[in-house]
Amino acid sequence: MKFWGIRLLSIAGAILGCMALQGFGLHQNDYIQRLLILSGLYVTLSVSLNLINGITGQFSIGHAAFYQVGAYSAGYASIHYYKAAHLPPLIWLICTMILAAFAAAIAGFIVGLPSLRLRGDYLAIVTLGFGEIIRILVQASNPLGGSYGLNVEPKIVSIAMVWLLAILCIAVCRNLLKTATGLPFLAVREDEVASSAMGVNVTQTKVWAFLIGSAFAGAAGALLASFEGFITPLSFSMNVSFIILTMVVLGGTGSITGSIFSAIFLTLLPEYLRSLKGPDGGPLTLTGGAVMGWLVAVIVTVGVVRWAFGEGERAMRNQTLSAVARALSTLAVLAFGFYVFLAAKGSGSILSWLFAFAIAAGIVWLVLANGDQPIAKKVRFSVVALAVGFLAHMIAGYLFNKVPVMHNKELKIDQLRMVIFAVTLIVLMLLRPQGVFAQHEFSWAWVAKVLRLNRQKAVQA
Amino acid sequence: MGGKGASAEPAEGGASLSLLQLDQATIRFGGLVAVNSVSFQLDKGALFGLIGPNGAGKTTCFNLITGVYKPTSGVIRFQDRSIGGTPSNKIASLGIARTFQNIRLFRALSVLENVVVAGHLRHHTGLFSALAYLPPSIKETDRLKGEAMDLLRILNLEHVANVRSQDLSYGMQRRLEIARAMATRPELLLLDEPAAGMNPQEKEELLKMVKKIRDEHGMTVLLIEHDMRFVMNLCEHIVVLDHGEEIAAGPPSAIRSDPKVIAAYLGEAV
Repeated sequence: MKFWGIRLLSIAGAILGCMALQGFGLHQNDYIQRLLILSGLYVTLSVSLNLINGITGQFSIGHAAFYQVGAYSAGYASIHYYKAAHLPPLIWLICTMILAAFAAAIAGFIVGLPSLRLRGDYLAIVTLGFGEIIRILVQASNPLGGSYGLNVEPKIVSIAMVWLLAILCIAVCRNLLKTATGLPFLAVREDEVASSAMGVNVTQTKVWAFLIGSAFAGAAGALLASFEGFITPLSFSMNVSFIILTMVVLGGTGSITGSIFSAIFLTLLPEYLRSLKGPDGGPLTLTGGAVMGWLVAVIVTVGVVRWAFGEGERAMRNQTLSAVARALSTLAVLAFGFYVFLAAKGSGSILSWLFAFAIAAGIVWLVLANGDQPIAKKVRFSVVALAVGFLAHMIAGYLFNKVPVMHNKELKIDQLRMVIFAVTLIVLMLLRPQGVFAQHEFSWAWVAKVLRLNRQKAVQA
Repeated sequence: MGGKGASAEPAEGGASLSLLQLDQATIRFGGLVAVNSVSFQLDKGALFGLIGPNGAGKTTCFNLITGVYKPTSGVIRFQDRSIGGTPSNKIASLGIARTFQNIRLFRALSVLENVVVAGHLRHHTGLFSALAYLPPSIKETDRLKGEAMDLLRILNLEHVANVRSQDLSYGMQRRLEIARAMATRPELLLLDEPAAGMNPQEKEELLKMVKKIRDEHGMTVLLIEHDMRFVMNLCEHIVVLDHGEEIAAGPPSAIRSDPKVIAAYLGEAV
């Protein structure tokens, strides 16, 4: 049987991959382990919310509630029954995950019921309210530890389980969309009246979406409880719900691929910003002028990119203008290179800067990914735009620093990182309101198509 | 109403030719009587037209038949089964499919997927088989896709199967709605202004297509249309509504010369 052969191989591959990740993770420090686990959990959470929000179109913003129900049911069971069960920790972990998934699915069913009558914003308010009710009930409940929280044992750090759950969640959503059974979920999102007239049981479809989505969030909660060893209602505040929602929207509502990437990106970005080093090797310290300079840089970068692909295309046909632009952009790239060189010589933090540059270039490229221009041209424009933006940053920063108020205000990066995080989100959403991946999914066919298109364009040009 | 008596047992094996029967169907929205004791019956294999000026209650009639609204009073029978107030999706599975006056496609889905969603009604593998992507589910999906492609071929849409439905031209979107409705394999097909917004040539093609659907696929067709030429050429039997009331019924020739119809609907223009 070819089918079962491939199926077994891919399952084995997933398990081996996760074990390898675990092997890698266990040799790292606690911080890295934490990041590996949190990004896996957030992938599960955002992909499962995407099933409810993006695929079935039920605007739910209380996903942390299911996460919490899972974590607390697993935590409660562990405290009371782990010793009596005499099971190896890993088996116990799997049992609590299943239990948590069931508990959260029941909660999901209860929240799913109003979704039969409510749509859009109204449903959002109900789910938000439900999330808060759960959190406050737990806070007021003594057996669940109230605001002090629960000490959960056994404490298990299992990166492999976290990522296996994430892969399972992704696989389930992907499978659903690949078969005819999943299409009614999309149909309900598109038009409830029409789906109903075509024989789709709208009620049942919505409830299933809530059941499956919340079950995965619950299982993720069980993993969080066993990893942290300690849970409080604070870990499931509205903030968490909104972060998960942001991941789904940023990745492109309805796109599984988008949810995965934005979950990892948004988990790592604030942490990466924390460790960003300045040109002198110390923690990055910015003056008010520099912050203003960065804002100017963002605007200039975006402006240059937009211009280059729009009006600029026409202007560049003029020989003189084109030559001037080339000279200026080359100068800008060189200046940027020189600055990086100086920074590297001063501190050895060149990797950090290059990484920042690569991320920025990647963002710009993603922004442009929907234009029908050859990739080489996009990359070239992005690099130039970033260099020009950087120069703009230097100049604007210099000018702003002449203003005494701005110069005196010194800010450490860790004070600023959430601001940068927010600005990144704003810029991304402004540029691609439909999300980075819109409704597209990653597939090898898509990659092949993009490559082929580029080759065709190169041939034409 | 002639035809069937008030028999309670379902007529299996075509004892009766009556497929759909409205008996004094009435619906009120507050003080407004949108459809007032309308009665007519559709024989199996008929091409039946429902006409009337704007606001006459034609689309409301469709909504009553397809379960979007529940009749305030009166009975709607489909294959001798009372369906008034049954949920839309149940009615679809009983064998009534419809198109919409204001096109309601699944806009972000491809043309093929739109049709597969409707075919899903005849889908028998469960959700868990799909979640695990097991062979029965894969086979079923392939089968439904194959059937959907056949339908697209009938409606001349196979070349755009993978295009997003919102990117289609207006006429194609109308045809896709018909294909989607046919995918539920209905006994009765309700078309709500299928020719609206089409040019004369497209209308001509549509006319042939609807005839073909009836003749080759054995579907009974009930349609609402404003284009008189279209209705008169296509339908074998016509009911005229005005202000929610039935003012005339009969073959096109009779309707054409009915003074009440001319007064209410056709006016001086024709």
